[in-house]
Amino acid sequence: MSGLAHGAEAASHRSRGMTVAGYVAMVLVLLVVAVPLFWIVITSLKERQDIYVRPAQWFPQPGTTANYHDVTTRIPFLDYFRNSLVITLVLSASKIVLGVISAYALSLLRFPGRGLVFLVVIAALMVPNQITVISNYALVAQLGWRNTFQGIIVPLAGVAFGTFLMRNQFLSLPGEIIEAARLDGAGPLKLLWRVVLPMSWPTLVAFSLITVVNEWNEYLWPFLMSDDERTAPLPVGLTLLQNNDGVTNWGPVMAGTVLAMLPVLVLFLVLQRQMIKGLTAGAVKS
Amino acid sequence: MNNLTRRGFLGLAGAAGVTGLSACAGTGTSATSDKGGSSNTIEFWSNHPGNSKPVEQQIIQAFQKENPGLTVKLVDAGKNYEEVAQKLNAALVGGQLPDLVVVSDVTWFNFALNKQLAPMDDLLSSAKVDTSDYVDALFNDYKYADGHFALPYARSTPLFYYNKELWSKAGLEDRGPKDWDEFKQWSDALKAAVGSGKHAMELADGSNYLDWYFQNMVWDFGGAYSKEWTPTFSDPNTVKAGQYLQDLAKNGVVKFNATPEADFSAGLAGCILQSTGSLGGISKDAKFEVGTAFLPGTDNCPTGGAGVGIPAKISDERKANAVKFAEFLTNAKNTVTFTQATGYMPVRKSAVDTAEEKAYLEKNPNAKTAIDQLPHTRSQDNARVLLPGGGARIGKALDQVAQGQDVTSVFAGLDKESQQVFDNQIKSKL
Repeated sequence: MSGLAHGAEAASHRSRGMTVAGYVAMVLVLLVVAVPLFWIVITSLKERQDIYVRPAQWFPQPGTTANYHDVTTRIPFLDYFRNSLVITLVLSASKIVLGVISAYALSLLRFPGRGLVFLVVIAALMVPNQITVISNYALVAQLGWRNTFQGIIVPLAGVAFGTFLMRNQFLSLPGEIIEAARLDGAGPLKLLWRVVLPMSWPTLVAFSLITVVNEWNEYLWPFLMSDDERTAPLPVGLTLLQNNDGVTNWGPVMAGTVLAMLPVLVLFLVLQRQMIKGLTAGAVKS
Repeated sequence: MNNLTRRGFLGLAGAAGVTGLSACAGTGTSATSDKGGSSNTIEFWSNHPGNSKPVEQQIIQAFQKENPGLTVKLVDAGKNYEEVAQKLNAALVGGQLPDLVVVSDVTWFNFALNKQLAPMDDLLSSAKVDTSDYVDALFNDYKYADGHFALPYARSTPLFYYNKELWSKAGLEDRGPKDWDEFKQWSDALKAAVGSGKHAMELADGSNYLDWYFQNMVWDFGGAYSKEWTPTFSDPNTVKAGQYLQDLAKNGVVKFNATPEADFSAGLAGCILQSTGSLGGISKDAKFEVGTAFLPGTDNCPTGGAGVGIPAKISDERKANAVKFAEFLTNAKNTVTFTQATGYMPVRKSAVDTAEEKAYLEKNPNAKTAIDQLPHTRSQDNARVLLPGGGARIGKALDQVAQGQDVTSVFAGLDKESQQVFDNQIKSKL
């Protein structure tokens, strides 16, 4: 009896210990993630002389919004913002569409050479971006596409990663449902829209989110292609705030970073709920 | 029906595969000579050194007013010199070259060696540019095999920055050290005055151009990175300089840091070696009186920064226009405008005689230090600026020395590596 009570006590001890440890770990992770973000935000609100001081200022005193004004006046911020939007939207849309339909073909349609095509796609995934940059540059420059949106977007629109991810998701769907839908007379497109996609919602949302964030932050290729604020996206534009030989005034750089972060942050918050919703949708009787 | 769509689909897939392949295979066929580009538009690729975009635009407008037939297109070519070089590399293979491009002290030579930059001398003489007005050390930095491959544009030297309040607290005269021996004598007083948790001196680490500042230390001890193309890291004097650097670190006099200028402005470091380009920023950030002085030693201040070059493969007409603009960009009046806005050095001898510059220097004695130091500069050793990867290689070795590794063996390794790079990549092309 006493042994049993002792055991239960120990168990509850352990679980309480585990809970505490869990919370400590959570707080630690939160700090690791949140402190740099917090530092960016408050630095963007500081006056120049208060940025490099010891002891560090954890709250801007006095606070100022001059840095935000600086960002929007010293560089054509809105132009860069517009370019970022155009590039990200078009690229993400085409990547998602291409990824879904190619994955659909490679997983649920039967045709000769399917395995080989998939192998080629996977091989493309292994080639780092940096290697194809020069030959892509040559091609795009010959087309006269430098400093144009199509020059930035078209070479980036290939989607080995999306194809790979979505194909594996589609293959994991229960074959019975697909067969049932086919027996009910669903054509390939209807099958995709009404059956396959609704069941793959969480993966699709995750893939879309990764794509959008990647395109939003894309640096190397847009930098090589663009000449000025007519096509350059935000990551390229913001570098103009840094002093490349001398002392950078970090206030405006941080303000620009905050402004560039916001759209992605909002998207995250919105889509996060979609991801959870997707997990509970659809049901299978086996 | 089913069969038909299937066949159609296969056909489409095949077509898609072919276009995919063709997309991968595109390499420049027209890379040998760049016929494109309008002869009336001068494309200027710049990283706007020292946040100089507004000044560059101002100079361009003045140029277009003087030359109504010509337009200059200013291109944001990167955030630093390395990115400009990267973009130029892509254009050299892929086509659509600029007319004028910013090249730094470490990037120009590789382009010149591979005949990708045009020699300027004939272009300059047919444009009737008086090259003798360029500051000799700065102009000759771009000399290779009887030709000059760039014109000096955003040129800097290191300066000795010190905290005047700390200097008086330590009971030192209001000046920089005569040489590194004197600095060593001062270091105890400085260490005591600066207090704990702070450092008498901070230096940039190996990934932030310590190799540039250390060039001065090496020269002061009578050593060098190289003599012409022969690396001389194992020279006893070079090793002595390395030992000196290590001792400073060991004794806690010096701390290495990615951004010493930030710590200096915050009062955490008593003195630093930094580019003249930082003068404006430091004066704005620091809450104490900042002093500047020549680098320790006599006549051993390295030069640095960037010039402007013209790609070799553009048409002669475009080259002539480009040189016209390059001359305008670096003439006495504009070099004064540019350097006052950024903290770089005027590249023309006559610049210091202009009224604007005289008035400016009177108001800014710290800027005057930099200009007075200019006649005491010396072109850097080949092993750092002309050997591919030289700066990074030396910087890495200096990091190891600072961490306490044996100087002689680290420098012997540098000798060997530098010699290998020279034998493999340079020798056959000279």
